[in-house]
Amino acid sequence: MTTRQAIGEVAGPLLGLAAVVAFFAASELGWGLYKGCVREGRSAQAVFSGYESRFCTAQNARTVLVQTATVAAASLGMTLLIVSGGIDLSAGTALSLSATVLAYVLKLGQPVGLALLACVLTGALAGAVNGALIRTLKVAPFVVTLGTMTFYLGLAKLIASETTVRPPLERIPDWLPALVAPRPRPTWLILPAGVWFVLGLTLVMEILLRRTVFGRHVVAVGSNETAAHLSGIHVGRFKVTVYALAGLLVGVAGVLQFARLSIGNPTSGLGLELRMIAAAVLGGASLRGGRGSMLGALLGAGIMSVIASGCTMIELRNPIQDMIIGVILIATVLLDHLRRARR
Amino acid sequence: MRLHIIPALMLLIALGCADRGQPSPKSHDRLVIAVVPKATTFDYWKSVHAGAAKAGKELGVEILWKGPLSESDREGQINVVQDFVTRRVSGICLAPLDSQALVGVVHEAKAEGIPTVLYDSGLESSADVVSSVATDNRAGGALAAQRLGEILGGKGRVIVLRYAPGSQSTEHRESGFLETMHTGFPAIEIVSDTEYAGATAESALDKSQQLLEKFGGQVDGIFTPCEHVTEGMLRALQERELAGKVKLVGFDASPRLERALLDKTLNGLVLQDPVRMGDLAVRTLVAHLKGQTVEPRISTGETLATPENLDTPHVKTLLHPEQLAE
Repeated sequence: MTTRQAIGEVAGPLLGLAAVVAFFAASELGWGLYKGCVREGRSAQAVFSGYESRFCTAQNARTVLVQTATVAAASLGMTLLIVSGGIDLSAGTALSLSATVLAYVLKLGQPVGLALLACVLTGALAGAVNGALIRTLKVAPFVVTLGTMTFYLGLAKLIASETTVRPPLERIPDWLPALVAPRPRPTWLILPAGVWFVLGLTLVMEILLRRTVFGRHVVAVGSNETAAHLSGIHVGRFKVTVYALAGLLVGVAGVLQFARLSIGNPTSGLGLELRMIAAAVLGGASLRGGRGSMLGALLGAGIMSVIASGCTMIELRNPIQDMIIGVILIATVLLDHLRRARR
Repeated sequence: MRLHIIPALMLLIALGCADRGQPSPKSHDRLVIAVVPKATTFDYWKSVHAGAAKAGKELGVEILWKGPLSESDREGQINVVQDFVTRRVSGICLAPLDSQALVGVVHEAKAEGIPTVLYDSGLESSADVVSSVATDNRAGGALAAQRLGEILGGKGRVIVLRYAPGSQSTEHRESGFLETMHTGFPAIEIVSDTEYAGATAESALDKSQQLLEKFGGQVDGIFTPCEHVTEGMLRALQERELAGKVKLVGFDASPRLERALLDKTLNGLVLQDPVRMGDLAVRTLVAHLKGQTVEPRISTGETLATPENLDTPHVKTLLHPEQLAE
C-alpha cells in the first residue's frame, strides 16, 4: 500500500472528526445565543461579547482524549483482527477481566509492576485462546468469541467473587491515575501521559500494519485466505499470533481502564466491544477484511467521544446522544462507500 | 510523508482549541448546577430530578441534568462529571455509582474550583465533598427490623436477602436491620443473611426461588433491602402460595408493591424521599456557593408504610412521588 493510499484511508475519518467538532462548536454557539437572547432577554451583542466556548478549549480537548484512550487502545487490536478477516466480540469482557486481574493482584499486596504485567498478559492469553479455538475448531470467529465473551465475563466474576475488586487506595501509586487525569502532570507534557502512550502505540501499529512482512500477511489473510495459504503463509498459526497481539492491546486498555476507575469490576467492559468495532469501522476498516487503518480507528474512537462530550455541553439528553451516534456510524460508512465507488 | 499526518492533526487540534488559560467560573451571575444521577431510566431518579428542578426554579439557578447510560457504567459517569467540570458549571450534585471509582473525579473537580455535594450514596473518602444528602439507611433498616420483629411477636426464623456487595446504601440497610434484630429481638433467629440477589429483576427472582426452595416451610419473616429484590421475593412467595403467610418487609416503592401492601401480602415498606433529596442537594450546594456553612451530613428521612397507614397523606405522597419527565 502506498503512502498516498494510506493518507486517503485516513482522510474520511479525519473529515468526520472535523465535521462533528464543527457541528458541536456551532450548536454550542447557537444554544448560547438562544438562551441569552430568548430566555434571558439580553441583546445579541451583549451575549456575543460575554460568550466563551466551553467546547472549543484545550481543557476539553484533553478531557475528550482521556475519555477516548481506553477504547482507542483496544480498537487498534480490533482493527488488526478486522483487517485479517476476523472479529472479537469477547474484547469487552476480556478487557474487564484484565482490569479485574490487575485489581486482584494489587489487592493481594503484590508490586504494581507485577499487577500491570498480569493485566497485559491476561489480555494476550484471552486473545490467544480465541485464536487457538478458531484455528482448531474451524468455527467462525463471530461464534467462537460470542462464546468466550460470556466465558471471560464468568471468569472475571469468579476472580472477583461476584463483586467489585477494590484494592486499597494507598496501594495504587499516584502516577497510575495521573496517566489519564485530564490535567497532565508535569504540565510541559501538554497532553496526559496515557494519551501520548496511546498515540505512540497507534503509530507503532500503523507501521506494523503497513511496513512489515507481518502486516502484509495480515492484509493477505484478510483479503483472500486461500490465496494467502497457497502463497505459503501458515494461516492457522498466524491467526493465533494475530489474536494474541490484539488481546495484548486489550490488556493495555485494561490498564488504562483501571487507571480511571481504581477498581476491577467484571462487568465494566460489557458493550465496549461494540464501541471498538464501531471505532474501527468509522476509521475505514472493512468488515470483509483486507482493509483498515490504525490512525483511522483512533479518529473513529475520538469521533464517538466528541459526540458524547458535545451532547453534555449543549445539554442534549441521553436518548438523543445514543441516536446521534447510531446515525453518524451509518452515515460515515455510507459516505466512505460512496467516496470509494467514485474512484 | 505518512508521518506528517500526526503533526498536522495536532496542529488542527491546537488551532481549533487555543488554550485560553483558566476561564472565569461563570460568564454571568446566574448559578449553573449540574445534577448527575446514577441512571436516567428509573422512576426514582425522575423523582430526584423533579425535586432538583423545583429547587432550581425557586432559587433562580439553572439545573443541568445528565447521567450515565446505565447504572453499571462507572466510566460513563466519570465522563459526565469531567464534561461538566470542563463546561465550568458552578457546582455538581452527584449520586456516585461506586464508592471508590468516583473519588478521583470529585477530587479533580475540587482542584478546578468546582464544589460537589453527594446525594443518595456516599464515597469512601469524603474529604473533597461539601456535604452528603441521603436517606439514613441504617435507620431505615432498623425501622424494617422493628416492624418485622413486632409482627412476628418477637420470635421465629428470618431471612435477609442482600442486594449486591459493594453497594454502600443497601449494605447499611442490611446491617441496620441485623443490628436492631439482634439487640431488640434476641429470640428471632437469622437463618440466612449471606445470599445476594444481584442487580436485575431476573436474578433477584432466581435467588428468591432458590432460597425458598431451601428454607421453604421453615421461615417466618423476610427482609429485602431494595425495590427489585422486594418484588422478586414477593413473586417467589406468590408462586409457592406463601405470600401473606411468610411476613415480608421491603424497601422502596413501586405500584406493584403498593398493591401488595393493600392486600397484605407485603407487611411493611420503608420509603425514601427522592423528591426531597433532589431538592435538599441543590439547596445545600447553592447555600455553600453563597458562602453559608452547611452540615456535612443531611438526612432526608425514612418512613415506614404499612397496610394500616396507607391512606395517610404523607405516605400517599411518598408512594406517588412527583416525577419529572423531560
